[in-house]
Amino acid sequence: MKLAILAFALSSLALAQHAPSTLPKVKFTDTKLDNGLRVLISEDHYAPVYAICVAYKAGSKDERPGRTGFAHLFEHMMFKGSENVGMGELDFLIYTNGGSSNGTTDNDRTSYYETLPKNQLDLGLYLEADRMRGLVINQENLENQRQAVKEERRQSYDNQAYGQTSEKLEGLIYDAFPYHHSVIGSMSDLDAASVDDVKQFFKTYYAPNNAVLALVGDLDTQATLAKVKKYFGNIPAQTPPKAVDFTEPPKTGERRAALQDPLARLARIDIAYRFGPSSDADGRALSVAASILAGGGGGFGGRGGGGGGGNISRLYQLLVEDKEVASNVSARADRRQGPGFFHITATLRPGKTPEEAEALISEEIAKLHSAPVTAKELDRSHIALRRAAEARLTALSRAQALADAAAVYNDPERVNSEITAQLAVTAEDIQKAARDQLINANKVVVVTTPAASSGDRPKR
Amino acid sequence: MRTSRILVVSLVSFAAVWAQEPAGQSFRGMVRLNRAPVSNEVLKVKLPRPVERQLANGIRLLILESHRAPTISLTISIPSSPLRDPAGMPGVAEATAALMMSGTATRTQRQIAEALADIGATVSFSAGGGGGGGRGGGGSGAGSGTGTISVSALTESFDAALAIMTGVLLHPEFPAGEFDRWKARQRSAIEQARTSPTGLGSEMLMKVLYPNDARQFTRLTGESLNKITRESLVEHYKKYYTPSGSLAGIVGDITAKDAVATLEKALAAWKGSPVDTVALPIAPPITTKKVWLVNRPGSVQTDLVLANRAIDRTNPDYIACLVMNQVLGSGPAARLFRIIREEKGYTYGVSSSFTATRYLQHFSSSMLVRTEVTEPALADLLKEFKEIRDVPVPKEELEGAKRTLVANFALGLENPAAVMARWLQQREFGLPEDYWDSYSEKIAAITADDVARVAKKYVPYDNVQIIAVGDGAKIRELLKKFGPVEEVAPDEK
Repeated sequence: MKLAILAFALSSLALAQHAPSTLPKVKFTDTKLDNGLRVLISEDHYAPVYAICVAYKAGSKDERPGRTGFAHLFEHMMFKGSENVGMGELDFLIYTNGGSSNGTTDNDRTSYYETLPKNQLDLGLYLEADRMRGLVINQENLENQRQAVKEERRQSYDNQAYGQTSEKLEGLIYDAFPYHHSVIGSMSDLDAASVDDVKQFFKTYYAPNNAVLALVGDLDTQATLAKVKKYFGNIPAQTPPKAVDFTEPPKTGERRAALQDPLARLARIDIAYRFGPSSDADGRALSVAASILAGGGGGFGGRGGGGGGGNISRLYQLLVEDKEVASNVSARADRRQGPGFFHITATLRPGKTPEEAEALISEEIAKLHSAPVTAKELDRSHIALRRAAEARLTALSRAQALADAAAVYNDPERVNSEITAQLAVTAEDIQKAARDQLINANKVVVVTTPAASSGDRPKR
Repeated sequence: MRTSRILVVSLVSFAAVWAQEPAGQSFRGMVRLNRAPVSNEVLKVKLPRPVERQLANGIRLLILESHRAPTISLTISIPSSPLRDPAGMPGVAEATAALMMSGTATRTQRQIAEALADIGATVSFSAGGGGGGGRGGGGSGAGSGTGTISVSALTESFDAALAIMTGVLLHPEFPAGEFDRWKARQRSAIEQARTSPTGLGSEMLMKVLYPNDARQFTRLTGESLNKITRESLVEHYKKYYTPSGSLAGIVGDITAKDAVATLEKALAAWKGSPVDTVALPIAPPITTKKVWLVNRPGSVQTDLVLANRAIDRTNPDYIACLVMNQVLGSGPAARLFRIIREEKGYTYGVSSSFTATRYLQHFSSSMLVRTEVTEPALADLLKEFKEIRDVPVPKEELEGAKRTLVANFALGLENPAAVMARWLQQREFGLPEDYWDSYSEKIAAITADDVARVAKKYVPYDNVQIIAVGDGAKIRELLKKFGPVEEVAPDEK
């Protein structure tokens, strides 16, 4: 699951008259407990519910060679029981009391979250505090979660058409270890993870001083903070983990790979350009560019095809509508704590070649270099951003956004400032970002083509 | 600011409705330590009620005001549905919906898309599911026998979005050029869809449970793509894009008065006479066990779907089925998740559900398992079916399931569109006016005997239909242990 850092409407403000061009701000308090836990609380009394999200600054970037997939495997361990909560009891308590829960791991962080009716505030806090304080880690727990995770890998990658493509692509984009490998990890590394590995990872990364707790909903800030202190205050801090070194050797030329995929029926081309962590402004400009190129990011234009509003983005019009080379195309800027990348994917129509698609995509990239995007295109990306921001209303979506912004960027205010900054992106910003980042030295291409399967032929 | 204007919320002691919560024993797949602080009260929630108005063209409009965000969403149901596709031509309704926005007398496809992008609005026409979404989910939507028109926009541009929609609705041209291009795109899309193991499984499920009519198709096929003409679309549009008797819902930043005035004006020219409802027979469950193998060479997993026909939404057993399924296979606190995923480690996800729409009525349970454990996973899933049929549900597990269904009502209040969906469901199935108000009492009344009775009746065992999508060379033989096997090639049109 990927980060979505945008601002969200706050009900108390949204109930007032809306000036068409202003977005409501998320108001929150930001407190650090003595043990280092950062606590963010935002009141929203629209519905009698609240959301809790605990983000740990531990993602696949924090793994070590030979233990890829570990952060995510660990996420599963967090549901297997803690000091005062039995195996399977956490989900039972959450669901039978009207809530829902889950967890998510990405390259930069891992987070755990619940939504509950407001009268179960103590329950949510207790459960999160208990598994931060002490997890039950044993061979049996580890074995069955190892199986569940390996099954997740099969379901999401090994048994899917193009399932290997993203791993191949990231492997070529990044040379340095933190982002070179996938979040899901390799089967052999998953097999190698030991109980000691899990215990050590827990001690290092699952400490209050390495976590952010966000609470949003029908809460009273002061009373909630007092309860947070009661449940979390005595969890001891640990020595902070060493900062991850994202340094990548400079890229010197285009890299390419070809994959044969027995589960695919149509060829696909993936093109990516890495951009540096110091280029946050470029990453932002490129996310607006992605919306203009393929309707991704901001989300204007119906991507689902069917009877939607249609997609008037540049690449869709060129590859899908005019030249009829591709059946679909998408673009997005994958922004991270470290270096991110700009990613274009096109699935080809039968009989069309990856070369035809790549030539057309290159033409469009060249246009971004040579001429500013139009005012009309910028306006449309802005209105789409506003629409998307207004649509994110749930307590959970805001709790996750606050926790992510604090855990990944050390800046919870980013939930408000990022959308303002995106709305301020100019045509010149996009042109500069394209010229600096979307260049051949940064380029990676992976072509996936259908391969004859090794199994027997279908028969009646 | 509190919004108690639309919500009536109070705390009731759980004990007032339920027996005292038991001390908390552990049961299969779970260890209970009972140390976490739990409030024994359940938020008693009364769903905000929409206002109903009749429009001049026959539409019954439900209006649910919510000024939380400056957005308005409108959904209108229409008689268009894949269930009305001519025999042998699945996809006519789907194609009509897809091409509604492809041009009018005054605007090209591109101009329509640009006009919407300029105001950041969404307009869509959907044929609704035929046999689509076969893996469960209740309520309306798939199998309702209706299509939908949706308009969603910021408050300030809702009128403009509505004008774009009505321009399309009243004057679609279905330009021949766009139609041909759409056809070409669909050829790729059909190929693409055949790579998905779960897609193949859902498709087979519909063929098995609803073999004799339009419900067997989940989407357009390659064969029918060759037969569909522009004229088929025009004909479908003329017959089924009519307002008479349709239900519509509007949710968001608009008052009832403004909603009626706006829609009366915008939809004044849209008229039509009533259309007969779709008549499709509801068959009883299939009586003999069978295994259907969809061969997907190269698969590293087997997608398993176990199913049979079951009940419709208005059946008096529906609530008991919901409670029973909450124990068996809904969510991570249910047996299938605890035992098949957590204890056995066969799968990343396993669940069961009832699909109880107007035209689709079945129970199904599905999971993707690695090829090597296909046999024990299937055997253990069937063991759980047998267990819930034959062994009374322990009291605490039953109470937990019932509490889950009632307590999570509060979470639904966050989303006005979900509240509206419940009321549309009440109207669609002619459920009593107080249906949602007395919902928690109805659930509280379900006993362990009820659960055992509906499990025996609706969870298939001796007559289970098993669909397996996987590598035939590796699973063909073992599947024979579970029943007579019929093999189907995934390329079959």
